[in-house]
Amino acid sequence: MTAVHLKGVRKDYGNFTAISHIDLDIASGELVALLGPSGCGKTTTLRMIAGLEIPTSGQICFDGKDVSEVPVQNRNVGMVFQRYALFPHMSVEKNILFGLKVRGTDKAEAEDRLEQILDVVQLQQFRHRFPAQLSGGQMQRVAIARTLITNPSVLMMDEPLANLDTKLRGEMRRFIRNLQQRLGITTIFVTHDQIEAMELADRVAVIFNGNLAQFDEPDTLYKHPKSVEVADFMGATNVFAAQINDKTATLDFGALTFDAPSQNGTRSVMLRSEAIDLHLDEPTDVQNVFRGTIATRDFFGANITYGVTCGHETVQVTEQSRRVIDVGQDVWLTIPPERIWVIQKND
Amino acid sequence: MGDSAPNELARLRRERRLMLLQLLPVVLVLTVLFGGALVLGVMQSLGFAPWFGVNTFPDFSYFGVLWSQASFWQSLWLTLYYAVAATILSLILGILLALALVRTFPSKTLYKYLYKLPLMIPYTVGIALAVIMLGNGGMLSRLMAFAGLIDDPAQFPQILKTHMGWGIIAVYVWKQTPFVALTIYAVLLGVGRETEEAAAILGANKRQIFFLVTLPQILPGIISSTLIIFAFNIGAFEAPFILGGGFPDTLPVVAWRYFNDADYTLQLQGMATVVSIALIAGGILYSYLAIYRRYERRIGRQ
Repeated sequence: MTAVHLKGVRKDYGNFTAISHIDLDIASGELVALLGPSGCGKTTTLRMIAGLEIPTSGQICFDGKDVSEVPVQNRNVGMVFQRYALFPHMSVEKNILFGLKVRGTDKAEAEDRLEQILDVVQLQQFRHRFPAQLSGGQMQRVAIARTLITNPSVLMMDEPLANLDTKLRGEMRRFIRNLQQRLGITTIFVTHDQIEAMELADRVAVIFNGNLAQFDEPDTLYKHPKSVEVADFMGATNVFAAQINDKTATLDFGALTFDAPSQNGTRSVMLRSEAIDLHLDEPTDVQNVFRGTIATRDFFGANITYGVTCGHETVQVTEQSRRVIDVGQDVWLTIPPERIWVIQKND
Repeated sequence: MGDSAPNELARLRRERRLMLLQLLPVVLVLTVLFGGALVLGVMQSLGFAPWFGVNTFPDFSYFGVLWSQASFWQSLWLTLYYAVAATILSLILGILLALALVRTFPSKTLYKYLYKLPLMIPYTVGIALAVIMLGNGGMLSRLMAFAGLIDDPAQFPQILKTHMGWGIIAVYVWKQTPFVALTIYAVLLGVGRETEEAAAILGANKRQIFFLVTLPQILPGIISSTLIIFAFNIGAFEAPFILGGGFPDTLPVVAWRYFNDADYTLQLQGMATVVSIALIAGGILYSYLAIYRRYERRIGRQ
């Protein structure tokens, strides 16, 4: 088990700056996602931790020891590539044994570990097959086994679920999560999909334009984003400008009281669409009531999302499809004060 | 829907007719020009040449005479030696060049054009360059004399016109290294860097990455390019004719001398030489492919 620290890491390619400045503390045994849009530098960060790229400045430390200059061969990390990068000319067995072979591990011990790892990834019956004869999920399990057999101190994955179909995604997600918890290995993976990051990770590092925007647990990231950009990337639909004055936010369509700490002045208020309740009659005895008219309705099976016109704004409200409200209906919306989040940073 | 099946059949038949029509030009050229010439050549080497007033078909004496000469075996040795040495050198240099070209380095675009230059220049020009550069009165000898390394250009070591064949091999390598590099470079681009990176992360050093990961993946490219350059080298005429060491010549030059002899009946002897070259080249290439197929089966590829 290894803790990973990035201290002021920067990476330039000629005149292009891929990573301008990243500090990241990943605890031992943690499962961390690097999340961001394509081209934000998340894969570069992963490759620097792996040793495939050398940072222009800054340090990468494993358990406090600077490994920035340690060549990739000696760094003892594991990497599962997005397209798996299996050796096409080797059988499943030979692929998995490769890491031990090049290290000159004793043959009997290698065979022992092969059997163990084949059981872990449930590939015993495919051991003599070639990569071309495997499905995507099986190839990924071979790639994981090939890496884990070398007992890496850090496991890295590039878009681990991106190339799998929906059903297999769920299966692989549970598999990776279980494996990671059983082995307690520090794991870092890259993804552009916020759902994937939240499903899998203990903590998520959101990276925009080569900078770390926020590093938090999925729950915090979802409910309490630090910036409008992060809120947007995490799928927030209701972000409105508001005047804040002592726990009261004055929006275009009304004043809302909230619990979260905030400074006064112009800020952005985020209302999660599933935190808002829809009422057909005016509710009594509740805080934060405002009126609106249903303008749009999107049916997603289990959920329905309504676009409700309130003043000059449209508020998205998601509820379970237990009822269907017609477009044009006048409604009352309520939101509990503890579910309102005021974003402090405007950008 | 009862008549859909006959319609389907008719459509298939139409498609097949169209396909045969499209194949016709190639098939015609191959059977008439190549196949016909091959059959005629073999028959001639076995004594069938009524247009010279010779028809002793089937008669193996031309091969008998040829193969019983000691000079034939010396010629065969020289032919194989030049061909194999040039092929191996081109292969090594070509692979190294291809490996360099997939890395990024300054002014790579320029190098990517430069290295292809010999591919566009004819062999004869290459031979002329070799004469100008490597001959005893050539540029290199003069430069070395000028620099005081030798007293006189004539003291320059004999590179051309010896049976060591340095000149011949140099021309082949000059022309064929870019060809090998071009082929292997394309294969390397297809293979990508990821398996090499995966191997490095798994702890493999540079040598292990090359021999265990890269080489097996570019092997199909190596096999096809060596087949092509070896087949060319074993049958090439101009370079050994101009830059070779004289008697004993390589087999293609021997064949040419027979064809060029005032005694035109020797043309049958020449044809036996040509057929011998074809048999030897075919045998070597076939064994080479068979060994490769065995390797592929051994690693489990079907």
